[in-house]
Amino acid sequence: MSLSESPTIEVKDLKTYFFTKGGIARAVDGVSFSVGRGKVLGLVGESGSGKTVTGFSILGLVDEPGRIVGGEILYRGENLVSASPDRMRELRGVNISMIFQDPMMTLNPVLRIDTQMIEALQAHESISKDDARQRARDVLGQVGIASPDERLRSYPHQFSGGMRQRVAIAIALLNKPDLIVADEPTTALDVTIQGQILYEVQKLCSQTGTALIWITHDLSVVAGLADDICVMYAGRIVEQGSVNSVLDKPMHPYTDGLISSVPSRNKRGVPLAQIPGMAPSLLKLPKGCSFGPRCAHFSNACDSIPDISNYENGRQIRCHNPLGAGTTLRVTD
Amino acid sequence: MALNNKKEPILTINNVSKRFIKSLDLAGKIAQRFGADIREEVVHAVDRVSLNIQDGEVVGLVGESGCGKSTLGRVVAGVHEPSDGNVLFRGKAIEGLTGKDAQEAALKIQMIFQDPMSSLNPRLRVQDIIGEAPVVHGVVDSGNITDYVEEIMLRVGLDPSYARRYPHQFSGGQRQRIGIARALAVQPDFLVCDESVAALDVSIQAQVLNLFMRLRQELNLTYLFISHDLGVVEHLSDRVVIMYLGRVVEVAPTETLFADPNHPYTQALLAEVPRLETRQRKFAPVKGEIPSPIDPPTGCHFHPRCPKAFAKCHQETPALKEIESNRFSACHLND
Ligand SMILES: Nc1ncnc2c1ncn2[C@@H]1O[C@H](COP(=O)(O)OP(=O)(O)OP(=O)(O)O)[C@@H](O)[C@H]1O
Ligand SMILES: Nc1ncnc2c1ncn2[C@@H]1O[C@H](COP(=O)(O)OP(=O)(O)OP(=O)(O)O)[C@@H](O)[C@H]1O
Ligand code: SF4
Ligand code: SF4
Ligand SMILES: [Mg+2]
Ligand SMILES: [Mg+2]
Repeated sequence: MSLSESPTIEVKDLKTYFFTKGGIARAVDGVSFSVGRGKVLGLVGESGSGKTVTGFSILGLVDEPGRIVGGEILYRGENLVSASPDRMRELRGVNISMIFQDPMMTLNPVLRIDTQMIEALQAHESISKDDARQRARDVLGQVGIASPDERLRSYPHQFSGGMRQRVAIAIALLNKPDLIVADEPTTALDVTIQGQILYEVQKLCSQTGTALIWITHDLSVVAGLADDICVMYAGRIVEQGSVNSVLDKPMHPYTDGLISSVPSRNKRGVPLAQIPGMAPSLLKLPKGCSFGPRCAHFSNACDSIPDISNYENGRQIRCHNPLGAGTTLRVTD
Repeated sequence: MALNNKKEPILTINNVSKRFIKSLDLAGKIAQRFGADIREEVVHAVDRVSLNIQDGEVVGLVGESGCGKSTLGRVVAGVHEPSDGNVLFRGKAIEGLTGKDAQEAALKIQMIFQDPMSSLNPRLRVQDIIGEAPVVHGVVDSGNITDYVEEIMLRVGLDPSYARRYPHQFSGGQRQRIGIARALAVQPDFLVCDESVAALDVSIQAQVLNLFMRLRQELNLTYLFISHDLGVVEHLSDRVVIMYLGRVVEVAPTETLFADPNHPYTQALLAEVPRLETRQRKFAPVKGEIPSPIDPPTGCHFHPRCPKAFAKCHQETPALKEIESNRFSACHLND
């Protein structure tokens, strides 16, 4: 593989644990994936499965009582796990941006939007105030904010929740970063506005080669946006592969259950297919496979934690009894 | 379906408007203290909405964030008084009711909120959360309350042995079930469900949606089901109402609406619905500018974004008109 083809971000066996009074919560426990230039990875999973903590780990934002206890995060070959706080500050917002679940994590309530956006631009490149304002204005327009000139002079509270989220997205797009981690950024938005934002994000990926990690619990959005998909459950990736292969031929019983329960996959008015039970607490994981108590394919083997197995076309599954294994070839390495 | 129109509706929303004076939130107050020029503003959250809902019907209410769905739901459930217009329950104006009639109407329409945690009293045990209102209102006498709570917990799929626990000891999906149980305990006829599954995990969402469908059949309930998830609404509803910036722009039976949307906003909405089957699609930008409810556009609220807008749309508000039996749309193109 030549250097230019190496991925923008490569996460290898990442472990981020929280050392709480009640015990150790292994929020991210041996997660590996990579995203290449201009590619989109969809990271899906239930609440508490470790999606946000994975994003925070990449940005160097994990706080006490949490700590990265193992693995590597290679950004263009540089291991961020051992990078200094200064180096991380340098990268954040310029090379790597995060769009947070809560937009007020990005926005400062006491500063006008223009002040915040111009500062964000001038912090990392020498650009005149007028040019910076012009760029800020353009980016606000791109995320569907009407009369951007007027809006630049507003404070965050003068926007509705959805508009604040769009401003936060605009700030993440400002410096055309190499990597964006977007944490459920469009969940609260109407699908037409969501479409507008996905359009801009897609354009950025294809024109500037930005790599994107899109965190969501909405499989339908991932279907339309992502190249690859990682499904997380209780701190581990249980299935990954290309969007087409995973959504058309899910091999992990959890992924299969998720896809079957999407309303459009079910006949109108008929009960939805449902996964019984609920996700376990990280402090009280079941013995063996974490999905075991909810799984219809449970067997004796499932009393031990399944390893990742590799299948054709780069697919990886963590299950003792993968579905359709007869039709998808297993690769041994 | 056409016959439905002849029966007396269980609920009539009659030209209801709701305006808010937008007071400053915390961020606003801080900014004001730092010298920002900030005034209070009037929000037209709901603007002259009329709608009939039939007994046993499930009506889905859809629209973008801030278009007034929750506000309309709260007016229906009696949480907010309308600024103009009124709501009739079984033909009687709720506002005008007094004494026993008023109490009965209040019990018969219950609301289930988006965030189960903030709507449940954290200091009460589940048995009291569910059992308090039915005892107070004489739906059941206090001697039988334990059995009654047990019966309702079973009905919503909660283990009755958890009756003495507090809300924080439950998962999100279970808390939503507690909220549903509390609403059912006073034996309502009509439920307003406001984004009742939005905060839930995909796998839990399916469980709760199935519960809603089962309860509808078992108890002959009528629902106003508010959601921004069109997939959920399509699955569950008999009829769909589309709102845009405080106004109803289209009402149609679910199948008709999804097969053949009339209003340009509905068409734009349906074109953008993400589907599992649509892979790596090309997203399209919204045309025109996106307005705010504080300063809504003149004429048809949708005109700045409407690809079909013409001169009249800038000045005249299109009325919601019956374009065929049981189908309504508010667009000048139907004139
Ligand atoms: N500050 C913290 N202290 C202790 N545990 C934490 C902390 N932050 C996160 N965790 C644990 O990490 C786990 C993963 O959390 P994370 O926020 O990554 O979930 P998520 O997949 O993003 O969920 P959601 O869909 O709800 O946003 C949680 O189960 C939680 O127990
Ligand atoms: N109590 C209130 N005081 C002031 N303004 C309010 C109040 N409740 C709602 N609003 C405003 O009324 C408008 C409609 O709000 P509403 O909550 O009904 O929207 P919604 O359609 O439910 O949106 P969402 O999908 O985000 O829940 C918004 O502009 C909102 O800011
Ligand atoms: S390892 Fe066993 S319990 Fe776990 S998902 Fe696979 S079949 Fe189910
Ligand atoms: S009335 Fe005019 S602007 Fe409004 S939806 Fe119809 S065509 Fe578009
Ligand atoms: Mg999260
Ligand atoms: Mg709402």
